Parts: sequence; C-alpha cells; structure tokens
Amino acid sequence: MTSLFAHSTASLSTWLQATALSHAMVTQPWLWAICETLHFVGLALLIGTAGVFDLRLLGFIKRVSLGAVMDLRGWAAFGLLINLVTGVMFMTGAPSQYLHNAAWWWKVAFIAVAGLNIAVFELRPGARALVASVGPNDDTPLRLKLAGGVSLFSWFAVLYFGRMLPFIGNAF
Amino acid sequence: MLQLFTSLESTSFATWLRESNTIWAYPTVLTLHTVGLALLVGASMALDLRLLGFARRIPVAALSKSFRVMWFGFWLNLATGLMLFAADASTKGTTRLFAFKLGLVVMGVVSVLLIERVVFRGDPERASTRWPARGLAAASLVVWLAAITAGRFMAYV
Repeated sequence: MTSLFAHSTASLSTWLQATALSHAMVTQPWLWAICETLHFVGLALLIGTAGVFDLRLLGFIKRVSLGAVMDLRGWAAFGLLINLVTGVMFMTGAPSQYLHNAAWWWKVAFIAVAGLNIAVFELRPGARALVASVGPNDDTPLRLKLAGGVSLFSWFAVLYFGRMLPFIGNAF
Repeated sequence: MLQLFTSLESTSFATWLRESNTIWAYPTVLTLHTVGLALLVGASMALDLRLLGFARRIPVAALSKSFRVMWFGFWLNLATGLMLFAADASTKGTTRLFAFKLGLVVMGVVSVLLIERVVFRGDPERASTRWPARGLAAASLVVWLAAITAGRFMAYV
C-alpha cells in the first residue's frame, strides 16, 4: 500500500510539474506572492462571512432570521473559490512539497470535512424549508448547531494546518 | 534607532522566538497572527459588505456584536505583531514595506472606529443607507486588501 501511495504521488508530481502552469508558478516573478495575497484575502472573506452564519447556526445573534444570515453564503463561496484556485496553483507549482507534507494532508482532510458538512446542509431533503423555519429569535435545532460548529471548527483547522505547512512539513 | 532594534532583537525572548526549534515559538505566534487577521479583517469585511448593500435582510444593528470579534482580533494581532517584530526588529524596523503595512493597518483600524461611530451611534438602519457609511465601508475594504498585500509581500522582498 505504502509503495502504491508513493508511486501515485510521485507520478502525480511529475505530471503536474510538466505543466505550463507549474513552470509559470516557479519562474514568473511575483506570481507566487500575488497568489499568496489572494489566498489570505480569500481566507478572511471565507471566515468573516461563514463566521456570521456559523454563529447564527450555533444559536448566537438570534435576533436575525437564519435565512437572512444565509444570504452571505455567496461571499463565503467566493472566498472558498479564490482559495481553491490559488491552492491548486501552489500545489501545481511545487507538488512534492505538499504531497509529502503531513500538515497538507490534514489541511485537505479538514477541507473535505467542511465540504461534506456543506453538502449535507444544502442537499438534504427539506434543507431549504429547515433554514426558512428559523425566524428571528428562534433557537436552532441541534442538527443545525452541529453544522455550524463543524464548519467553524474545520475552517480554523484548515487555517492552522495551512499556516503550519512550512513548520510541520517543509513547504515554503 | 537601529541600536534599539538590535538590542530588542537580542533579548532572550526574541532569540528564543526566532531560534528555538519548537513549534510553540515562531510558528505558533505567526499562526495566531493569521487567526487575528481572519477575525479582524474577516468580521470587518462582512460588515463592509452589508453596508455596501449586500445581504440586506440582515438588520445592521444585529452586526454590532461583530465589533467584539474585531477588537479581539486587533489586540491579538497587536500582541503577536509586537512579538514577531521583536524577533526580527533590525530588518523589519528598517524596511519601508513594513512601515507602509503599519500605516495601512492604522487606516483599517481607523475605518472600523469611524464605522462604529457613524453607523452604530444612533439608528444603524438609517445611517447604513447614507453615503458616509457606504464610503467608509468601501474605503475599509480597499485598505484591508492593501494591508494584506503589503503584509504578504514582506515575505518576498
């Protein structure tokens, strides 16, 4: 198993490094720094806006209906999109420093947890009706509290392992 | 001034922060600085977007509690920022980009203070539809984007 894993990460690495994007990421002056900047902007946008509806899901700022705070989810999705695109660009630029980095795999795992949490929240039958049922001053059912807690925790875990990439593994 | 920076840099705390090989030194302080950024800039950007007219169903007054998050992030980043500066004082203290970043952060904090004053002292719903609130929100967004850019580029120049 280990050797199969090593083999597939090595061939993925080789394939990614042969792309024009990978070449651009390491040779274009400032491209990496510009992507890093966008990655931090995306992080602030995602945590800042998802933070508002996650806190409402957890039962804070009850005076606002759940439907109203969920209007911010487009901005959270935009922040996430910026970070997925720039994240894939970093990974294409220097694949081996991520694929061999434990912190990176933890980061990916928490992105998966957050993504699954979103999928369950949005796609479960009756999801829209459930959101609409939580009006101003209404408490949220346990299921929604759990969704808010998992979301908030996962995004901070993603931030933690992202920032720790150079220190737990050896990414720059 | 440079002498002050050099002696700050050679204090045992600054040396420990910079040189000890533990995850609890520089890496943790740097990560906390990023958490503070997410709290201060994230909460500020969410409020700015609402003031610019997005997510209008949220009563502006309900976002008054986000100032607590912003100030928590601010104090966290002042504390961790001072530590990160101490670890690297003679370099950071003489870099123009660092001074530029500090100036932008001050402007960002002033924008938060002004929004608190202009929008939340009185009737937030009324104040939020008028131009001072919208102008401040737009300025706040632009200043935070610039501050993040300056901060990130410090690692590359």
